[in-house]
Amino acid sequence: MKKLITGNEAIAYGALRAGVKAVTGYPGTPSTGCLSSLLAMNLVDTHVEWSVNEKVALEVATGVAWSGHRALCTMKMSGLNVAYDTLISVAYSGCDGGLVVYVADDPGASAGMCEQDSRSFAVMADMPMLEPATVAETYALTKFAFNLSERIKGPVFLRLVTGIADSYAEVEVEEPAPVSQAAPLLIKDIQRYTKAGAVIATNQHRDLIQRLVQAGQITDEAKINKLTLSNKPGGLGILASGIAAAYLEEGFEAAASFGFNREDVSTLAIKVVHPFPAAEARKMLAHCQTILILEELEPLIERGMVVEAQRMGYRGKITGKLDGVFSRIGEYGVPQVVQGIESVLHLGIPENVFTGNTQALKLAAARPITVCAGCPHRGTYIAIEKAIKKLRLKKNEVMVTGDIGCTILGMNPPFDLIWTEISMGASLGLAQGYVHAGVKTPVIATIGDSTFFHAGIAGLVNAIQHQIDLTLVIMDNRWTAMTGMQVNPGTPCENGARTYQEIDIARIIPALGIEHFWTVDPFEVEETTEVIRLAMTLPGVKVVLARQECAIQAQRQGKQAGKVRVVEENCNLCKLCLMVTGCSAFSLGANAIEIDPELCYGCGICIETCHHDALVAEVV
Amino acid sequence: MKYDIFFAGVGGQGILTIGEVLAEVAHYKDIPANFYPSKGMAQRGGFVKAQLRLGRENVGPNIPQRSADMVIAMEQSESLKAIPFIKPGGDFVLYSDIWAPTAVALGKAPYPTFAQITEQVKLAGARLVHIDPGQLPEYAGELVHANLYVLGVIMGQTALGTLIRSEDVEHIIQTRFKRNIEANSFAYRAGLGMPLVVS
Repeated sequence: MKKLITGNEAIAYGALRAGVKAVTGYPGTPSTGCLSSLLAMNLVDTHVEWSVNEKVALEVATGVAWSGHRALCTMKMSGLNVAYDTLISVAYSGCDGGLVVYVADDPGASAGMCEQDSRSFAVMADMPMLEPATVAETYALTKFAFNLSERIKGPVFLRLVTGIADSYAEVEVEEPAPVSQAAPLLIKDIQRYTKAGAVIATNQHRDLIQRLVQAGQITDEAKINKLTLSNKPGGLGILASGIAAAYLEEGFEAAASFGFNREDVSTLAIKVVHPFPAAEARKMLAHCQTILILEELEPLIERGMVVEAQRMGYRGKITGKLDGVFSRIGEYGVPQVVQGIESVLHLGIPENVFTGNTQALKLAAARPITVCAGCPHRGTYIAIEKAIKKLRLKKNEVMVTGDIGCTILGMNPPFDLIWTEISMGASLGLAQGYVHAGVKTPVIATIGDSTFFHAGIAGLVNAIQHQIDLTLVIMDNRWTAMTGMQVNPGTPCENGARTYQEIDIARIIPALGIEHFWTVDPFEVEETTEVIRLAMTLPGVKVVLARQECAIQAQRQGKQAGKVRVVEENCNLCKLCLMVTGCSAFSLGANAIEIDPELCYGCGICIETCHHDALVAEVV
Repeated sequence: MKYDIFFAGVGGQGILTIGEVLAEVAHYKDIPANFYPSKGMAQRGGFVKAQLRLGRENVGPNIPQRSADMVIAMEQSESLKAIPFIKPGGDFVLYSDIWAPTAVALGKAPYPTFAQITEQVKLAGARLVHIDPGQLPEYAGELVHANLYVLGVIMGQTALGTLIRSEDVEHIIQTRFKRNIEANSFAYRAGLGMPLVVS
């Protein structure tokens, strides 16, 4: 049946068609939609879970694959860094059931993390990596990835970039295959499943390298990469990796009006980004006088091509990033295809064919991302600001480390409170470093609930062990919110339905032996301020758990914290409420501030900011 | 038929829904399509964009600059971010709603005027189709959904209306939204019948 689905969903449907037994992952833009679409299907025979972090997710998936069943593990590129310790070892051991690791990269950094090129991880792990150019190819390659994994008996990477992961296109989706109910294999073989000893480890390394060679042979035979040689030898050859191949024909069309002839060009659309398709590359080198490489981010294919060219004694020119024609930053598109053609064929295509009126961009108002109306983090930010002030300190004197997720939004106006963002859980380790470096003012670390479970706990344990003076503020909104409301170990089970065991952070902290621990409601700004102020004056590790459910999620469940009304005759439009809270429910009326009743969650934080009693809580 | 649409607005306006409806129409009518919504980290009120590419098999998701046949923008300032993408001679549809960022509301930052937008659209060589939020009609005492009204205007006043059929768009609207069927059809048809406003 033809369906309009995203690249993420194409992986989900492809895995179902492959009869996947278990799917694990951790949310991360742009990969999230794959696992969340499977969760929404309420599958009976396939276990689907958001795991506590990517490393654990991969270990769960590996256990399934080692038992002879098929497993899929999903993550964004940052998550792969977390899982990589496990992955490199699993790659050594190989697997029996198909194990596919889906990683989503984000060239152009639209989701605001590193522009990491995960293809290099495939190289380091000696794992095959498949990368489609379109959503429809994603579905087909997912099914192939499971077969490949089982044929080589090793894990296989599937990589998407944002433009495919989040794109909707039509895909012919088949019925899910029945999930194998075979008894799990229980293979006791320390030669495969442990690393104890040089003999074991080096033997596994040898097998790993052999598996990669075999993967290359299988993908060559299956003609996964698409090689098209021109009738006449001696012309231009273009290698396009992953999504870059999707722009070729359109680029050719654009160049045609400048005398470019499609028939003279050979192309290799690369979907097996590792191992390097050497056999096809050599055919290209033997056929073409000039080579153009189109690939986003790092010059990985280009390096492979340069090596093959050297081995063949190739005398033609290879154009890509290494000769400075293309940038290693950002996404590719039609302009890069045309620019590349021009740089090797010199057809006289002007540089501005695809340059629009960009001066317009300078006029656009800055729109920094900020917390939603009703967000409980707003109360926490304001309370930290006030606590700093009460201690007669300034915001630029107090280090407040930040972490991944919605909690980082305190870095922006009107709060301008948070200084750093590195990786999941890093707020804690970083804060300790600042203390060791001799920062005399109180150091504060801030983190969200899901991030705390993911990687924050280890940092907290370290701080406690080494008796560091710091204040940790855990901003617990009960959901993994920034990626679109996924559950985490602390999320309350809906309607008491015990589909998982909820874990209460308020019970973990005392168990770690922390003496100074408070749970506060961030909507009660005065009380929260006083607790944080006190915490900042005490020695050792202090933990403040600011707990209040994400307003977006609460509103979806029909909840409302209260109701705030504007007393128009008291309002002098001083805008102080807006200045302090930056709340998007406010707008400026002609005579008074106005509140959008649809946006306002009634958190009441604004009420205390008003000196003229123009904002009042209404009894609901 | 090859037709590219670039969308720009802010989260909460329902602009991505316009793209989804059109993508579903393409799916329904077997027109090759790639729809790439991009929310980035935007919550409600943050910048959102999307790209719909109709009529090409195996197409890349990103529209090159100077190449979009149409821009649909639903926030005055954010519409500027779409200007590099409009093709000379293309339709620049602007629903000139204003969502002022906090710094603008506080008077600390400038906000582009409608005249500035008009000038930039003209510099890009595009045709401006302006929809004033003030003209949004009411249905049963409430303002209709702006996005469906805008979709109606697009179908009535741009080349897209000659490439896909209005009844197919209305069919998708009716099957997609199970609630408020009458109000939705009213909003769409009101947009469809809006007198021509082109500058």
